[in-house]
Amino acid sequence: MVHKHHALVRLTHWANVPLLLGMIASGLSIYWAAPVFRHPRDPVTQSREYVADAGIVIARTIGDRGGDPRNWIYDHLGLGTRQLAIALRLHWALAYLFMLNGALYAVGLAAGGGWRALLPRRGDAAEARAMLRYYLGAIPMAIRRRSWPHPPVRSKYNALQRTAYLSMPLFATLAVLSGWAMHQPVQLGWLERLFVSYDGARVVHFVCMIVLGSFVVPHVALVIADGWDTFRSMVTGWSRRVKEESHD
Amino acid sequence: MTEDRPPENGSREPAAAEPVAPPPPAGEIPKEQVAGDAAPEPTALGASEAAERAPAAPPPRAARPRRTWLDALAEPPETVVELPRGRLAAQSRRDFLVFGAGVAAALAGAWWLLPDRVKARLAPGPWRDRLDTLAARAGLTRASRERALNRALTFDDDVAEALYSRDRHVRTYRRSEVTPLPNNYHGRTPGPEILDGWSLRLAGLASGRDVRLSRADLSRFARHDQVTRLVCVEGWSAIAWWSGLRFADLLAAFPPAPGARWAAMRSSVSLDSAGRPETYYVSIDLETARHPQVLLATHLADQPLPLAHGAPLRLLAPMKLGLKNIKALTDIEYTAAEPPDYWAARGYSKFDGL
Repeated sequence: MVHKHHALVRLTHWANVPLLLGMIASGLSIYWAAPVFRHPRDPVTQSREYVADAGIVIARTIGDRGGDPRNWIYDHLGLGTRQLAIALRLHWALAYLFMLNGALYAVGLAAGGGWRALLPRRGDAAEARAMLRYYLGAIPMAIRRRSWPHPPVRSKYNALQRTAYLSMPLFATLAVLSGWAMHQPVQLGWLERLFVSYDGARVVHFVCMIVLGSFVVPHVALVIADGWDTFRSMVTGWSRRVKEESHD
Repeated sequence: MTEDRPPENGSREPAAAEPVAPPPPAGEIPKEQVAGDAAPEPTALGASEAAERAPAAPPPRAARPRRTWLDALAEPPETVVELPRGRLAAQSRRDFLVFGAGVAAALAGAWWLLPDRVKARLAPGPWRDRLDTLAARAGLTRASRERALNRALTFDDDVAEALYSRDRHVRTYRRSEVTPLPNNYHGRTPGPEILDGWSLRLAGLASGRDVRLSRADLSRFARHDQVTRLVCVEGWSAIAWWSGLRFADLLAAFPPAPGARWAAMRSSVSLDSAGRPETYYVSIDLETARHPQVLLATHLADQPLPLAHGAPLRLLAPMKLGLKNIKALTDIEYTAAEPPDYWAARGYSKFDGL
């Protein structure tokens, strides 16, 4: 076996699941109170903003007639509309825990030496292209029963994983910084200026949420595809896979 | 405990052929092995749990390229550790139990913290009651949730207060950068009748007597202009050109009683959403009130304040959320104890510092 993940990295990795879910849910309910991505009122749907538009599309696609389709996203991914007071309190409570979690993750990376595996290195672009080609072809080739070998990977992660796993803490940091810029735009005025304006920080914060949320889909799909060893290594810290042997 | 290791001298022999330790007892499946021949350099044995190990051969220095600072950033080769299967299984069992406990705690915590409306959607009637009863037995009641969330809010208020500095200047803008300012009165906007016979009452003064100031009295104070951003708790914000007297000048002209630390500011002419009279009240700490950019505003864009924006006098404290910037102000009372606040009573922050 080989040691894969420091205990603090594993702990903070899993703590991110409820923390991010809670922050996104409460954040959407806060966003509902004053959306930043707006457009003139649509005469048909009466919508004035894009998240409501997306909700209308989702409700129509799945045939949900349960509530106001404009509120679909706020009701199903958020805590609902008109929940600003509790959403703000939840968001602050989880935000402090999220920052603490991020600090513990950094300690875990440093203590376990795992940070080195996340650093970009020469040849990453070529390896990322090869991996992308492999992922895109894996399912069609499996259907056609053609062999589709995994590109050789000698390091802990392949270049695509490295990029994704490094960008997650970076986007989380950006989310925290833009959050503080919105929360304390006067006392931390330099931070607000870093995002140009108050609304600039709101846009960045929203984009960070989208990026952190979108990461989950390929992440979970690839862990399922990769198998039990990968999941177990994030619970127990060890893996049976040794990189010097062939990957698959 | 004994551990077996692969040979470390860069041998070309397959490691599986040479177990160093005695073979495992019957019934145990062989442990993980290393492909020693694939390693480009000798496997670095870290200070792992290894209690005993075969003596390591000296690393062949000559074969290695010159070390550079980049080597410090390079990913070290994986260290293969071999543990008896029983011990590994015990460790893994413990880790999965901890993981399961964490999942259970997260689910219980989510059920505890979620607003009632969300819980009603997630679990229909009887299940919701059952889960609530179960949670209440573990102390996860609605009252304890409110306490926990209020503690988070208080903690955040303390952070905001620690960050606050009276010397820190609020960012100002050019008059050309002014943006539309929505009327976000929490209730119905009062009518022009509130302007007849309006006066500002000051209480809690050092003189011990209450004072009433008319609009003419207020106009004798020096007028200050500022173009600042007003930030609403809802998330929108607007840049506007405000003018009025400094709160600090009023405090100097009518000093509060010794020991006063707060201003309780009220608008007795406010209306609720149905148009009935409803007093609006906010608390402002005097440390903030003395900030040079805190105005008692009388003008917006060089015109007398419109009713929608708090005629005839409103608080303009750009380092506080908009909900503290009370409109149609009628009373200021200086107090030693923290006065009540309209939105703090409704689950929002008390400090509201930006």
